[in-house]
Amino acid sequence: MSGAKILIVDDELIVRESLAGWLERDNHDVTTAASGEDAILILKEKRFNILLVDIKMDGMSGLELLEKVMENDPDVAVVMITAYGSIDTAIHAMKAGASDYLLKPFDPGELGVLIDRIVERQARALENLFLKEQLKDRTRFESMIGQSESMQKVFDLIENVASADSTVLITGETGTGKGLAGKAFHTSSPRSGGPFVVVNCGAIPEHLMESELFGHQKGAFTDAKETKKGRLELAHGGTLFLDEIGEIGMRMQIDLLRVLEDRIFYRVGGIQPIEADFRIIAATNRNLREAIKNQTFRQDLFYRLNVISLEMPPLRKRKEDIPLLADHFLRRYTQETNKKIDKVNRDAMDEMMLHQWPGNVRELENAIERAVVVGKGRNIGVQDLPFYESALPGPGSGNTLKEIEKEHIVQILNDNKGNISKCAKILGIDRSTLYSKIKLYNLKK
Amino acid sequence: MISQAGFSQSNIIISPVDQFDDQLLNLISGEIKSVFNCNTQITPLLQNIDFALDQNREQYHSTLIIEQLAKTAPPYALKVIGITKKDLFIPILTYVYGEAQLGGKASIISTNRLNEGISSSHTDPRFAQRVAKEAVHELGHTFNLRHCRENTCVMHYGRGIEDVDKKSNQLCGYCKVLLDDEIKRL
Repeated sequence: MSGAKILIVDDELIVRESLAGWLERDNHDVTTAASGEDAILILKEKRFNILLVDIKMDGMSGLELLEKVMENDPDVAVVMITAYGSIDTAIHAMKAGASDYLLKPFDPGELGVLIDRIVERQARALENLFLKEQLKDRTRFESMIGQSESMQKVFDLIENVASADSTVLITGETGTGKGLAGKAFHTSSPRSGGPFVVVNCGAIPEHLMESELFGHQKGAFTDAKETKKGRLELAHGGTLFLDEIGEIGMRMQIDLLRVLEDRIFYRVGGIQPIEADFRIIAATNRNLREAIKNQTFRQDLFYRLNVISLEMPPLRKRKEDIPLLADHFLRRYTQETNKKIDKVNRDAMDEMMLHQWPGNVRELENAIERAVVVGKGRNIGVQDLPFYESALPGPGSGNTLKEIEKEHIVQILNDNKGNISKCAKILGIDRSTLYSKIKLYNLKK
Repeated sequence: MISQAGFSQSNIIISPVDQFDDQLLNLISGEIKSVFNCNTQITPLLQNIDFALDQNREQYHSTLIIEQLAKTAPPYALKVIGITKKDLFIPILTYVYGEAQLGGKASIISTNRLNEGISSSHTDPRFAQRVAKEAVHELGHTFNLRHCRENTCVMHYGRGIEDVDKKSNQLCGYCKVLLDDEIKRL
């Protein structure tokens, strides 16, 4: 531990000399002042980490000095030295900003321990401040990590439209963090105190979607044994996040468009109009303009949703964030599994930088999670990476990307006997995306 | 003003407060002569130090004793060093081995805690060495010498008895220069 800059303020020479002698032995840089007034002059020239101040001094008292110091430099730790009888004064000093007090008489060893504790505390506070600042740069929003220019643009957009109540459409490949961006829009908005309600449009069967979104009255249909509030009602005062909006059926698109236009809806089987105040944020990995051309998505709904648009960059286009993300996930999963893995070794990191990450950040997260589970050493090596021995055809195979994707999905489905959850996890995509890909490629589970 | 030639004629009074073995006092006297290059005289100046006793702590307040020693020192005395067997303290610390008036006349040492880890016999050479080192150390303060970072220098701050044992009974080169300057000034 490197020495602290300490100022001893006491009107007794023997005290100053004894304490200075003791503390210098611990390599602290010690200055002494015979009065509060002298201390003020010294403090104008030099900054100290710690001040040791006798409460009772002729002229300016220790308490007066404390107040002056706190006004100018509240980060300095002031230790008050007090006699047993004046403990009330010491408490008063603590309230005025002193960090500790020492009761006379004391063994200088106690002082040494106290100084070490303060130095450690100050170092920790500084480190926390540094980490916070560092974190602010890397993760300007909860769990969103990235120092790349493209991610900084994402952060800027979220910040800039924080106070707007406009609808947002977030696009981007699967696993790029559209959900996190949606949450960030919510938490940085004036609605952050309200609920953030997520509807995964790709995961809810179409016949249940109406009831899920709008709710239902008791007896509206056979299974409607109780009246149930829909997600729209639950989002009142907050944000409704419609994930995988591209998967929503044409009929539901009309219903949603109506809600977006007049903010009034009816529960299934209900006759009372319900008003709810929420902001809609939608996300999709589909090309909605393409879907409009193919007449599978309504153009008017698209324009309603696409007031503010945000495209999440794929991981392969922000590779400089890979080490940061890998480190973040490594910390998370080593903590969860209580394993002692320090880092991703250089070869593994090189492989990770070369990998194209079709499943984006989610694939990276899964790769690190798997590596932490299977890893045996203190470092994650290439052998721990799931794509290292991948059976995927290489780039020279002549297949298109879609063909490669289809073949890969088929293989994973076969290997895992069609277990969707397991396959989705291995592929680094969510279940609804896997369902849509199965549908797209006309595959059988 | 004392010329350097005349300085050796100046006296440092060694003032035992309690009964001490002559051999020990002579050893201290020799060390003081060797370091400060002046005459020494063994003369008790205080009958007792009861005035400095703190009843609650059962220890003696060293600051009060050195004030009294300075007052009672004869005019011919350049410096005074008291030696007591009583345990000394200053209000802020639980105990002290000694205290001195920095650049002043009087100082005192206590032998009370100097027998730590060794025989309490005053004839033990290690004990005598400790006492002599502390006496030179405190007298050094009266010559305006402050604590020295050099751990072999007798002016090095001793945290505990191990430090006292570790340091030598001599001033380091730097402190010698400072002492010479101070002597020239006197």
